Amino acid sequence: MIVTGAVLIYGTVDMPGWGDPDSPASRHVSPQYITEAMEKTATPNMVTAVLADYRGYDTLGETTVIFSAGMVCILLLRRKRNRHD
Amino acid sequence: MIDFIVSKYNYWIYIVLMMIGFYAMIGKRNLIKKIIGMNIFQTATILFYVSIGCKKGGDLPILEHAHGHAEHAVAVSAYINPLPHVLMLTAIVVMVATLGVALAIAIMIYRKYNTLEEDEILEAMK
Repeated sequence: MIVTGAVLIYGTVDMPGWGDPDSPASRHVSPQYITEAMEKTATPNMVTAVLADYRGYDTLGETTVIFSAGMVCILLLRRKRNRHD
Repeated sequence: MIDFIVSKYNYWIYIVLMMIGFYAMIGKRNLIKKIIGMNIFQTATILFYVSIGCKKGGDLPILEHAHGHAEHAVAVSAYINPLPHVLMLTAIVVMVATLGVALAIAIMIYRKYNTLEEDEILEAMK
């Protein structure tokens, strides 16, 4: 565990600093989302625009995940009438 | 050196948090404590991603004066990165789903063995 933590801390040496506007995560697709979200989706909230418009299928799959998790909980917690043990 | 620490200490905090969750998942014998450790681990991941999306001087990713002043230019550096927030919204949902299923399985185990301690369960399975 300590070894894993040490390896992860060594990995942060190459990470961009906190609040760096030129970090790789902020340069690839997010400028397009920020500048074009309003005219393409007419939604001022960019998080909502990306979640529901650009990545709508992702959100659809997410609802499938919640649905299957809920079904699994119901199936596991249901008390069976004739239990064999 | 101090600049280096200031720009990286948020990652170190998340790594410490993640290792606490990892220790709880590996070292603890109680299944509920293992589930709590899994939750701490996932929360550390979410905090890590949200801190990647941060920009110094950036605002919330909601456009100001969006309706009415339609054709004013949007400065990219004025808003923080919306993408990690979206992905972590999905991750929170998956976290809640896994937590629910894990607790349901723990309830099933408790009904069958009347304990949540791992060694007692292994003893009863023999």
